[in-house]
Amino acid sequence: MLLFRSEEHAKAWSQRRGLPMGALMSPQQQWDLARIWYADRMSPDWRRRTPAEAEEVFATVGFTGAFWKLTRP
Amino acid sequence: MDRSQGVDQAVRVEVYRLFVELGRAPVPAEIAHALDLRQDAVEDALRRLATDHALVLAPGTPYIWMANPFSAIPTPFSVEVGGRAFFGNCIWDAMGVVAMLGGSGRVRTWCPDCLDPMEVAVSDGHLTSEGGVVHYAVAAAHWWDDIGFN
Repeated sequence: MLLFRSEEHAKAWSQRRGLPMGALMSPQQQWDLARIWYADRMSPDWRRRTPAEAEEVFATVGFTGAFWKLTRP
Repeated sequence: MDRSQGVDQAVRVEVYRLFVELGRAPVPAEIAHALDLRQDAVEDALRRLATDHALVLAPGTPYIWMANPFSAIPTPFSVEVGGRAFFGNCIWDAMGVVAMLGGSGRVRTWCPDCLDPMEVAVSDGHLTSEGGVVHYAVAAAHWWDDIGFN
């Protein structure tokens, strides 16, 4: 997960490396995801999210679809 | 919770506490000293935590590589929070360090394409910097195939 100057920079970098374009998000979406994802990481009660729970978090910040899928159909 | 789960929980929490206190990853001896445990018990716990993807060990060692969002090694994602410096494993984790440690701080990185310096600033839980786009090359189901690449 990298921060690029723009979508064009991400595309150019991906093409040079032979990588698929993958997914893009805004820094605001990434911040929203980071806040939710790491809110309880230092708590003794933390446990790893199940695939379904992780998908729920992704959906909360607007990410659904095959790229964000962790559960099996 | 059985005994090993209790030890694993205590070790995991202590890893984070020491990471914040020291500004770097603790080694097993430091965790053992802090928790009054044997070092081999701590190393066993770290291996179980790594198997569960609760943290990542440097290959072939009992030493912490990642206690997400923290990175034990320098990365292109330096984080400043309250005058303290850390490294995140990626832009998600770098922002995660800021979120986890109070919600105010800044992340410095470079655009991988043009190498221009970039900065993400957060104040009291609000993003205050502008510009940039975050790119995920690998689909979520494959993040743990090569966690170092992600």
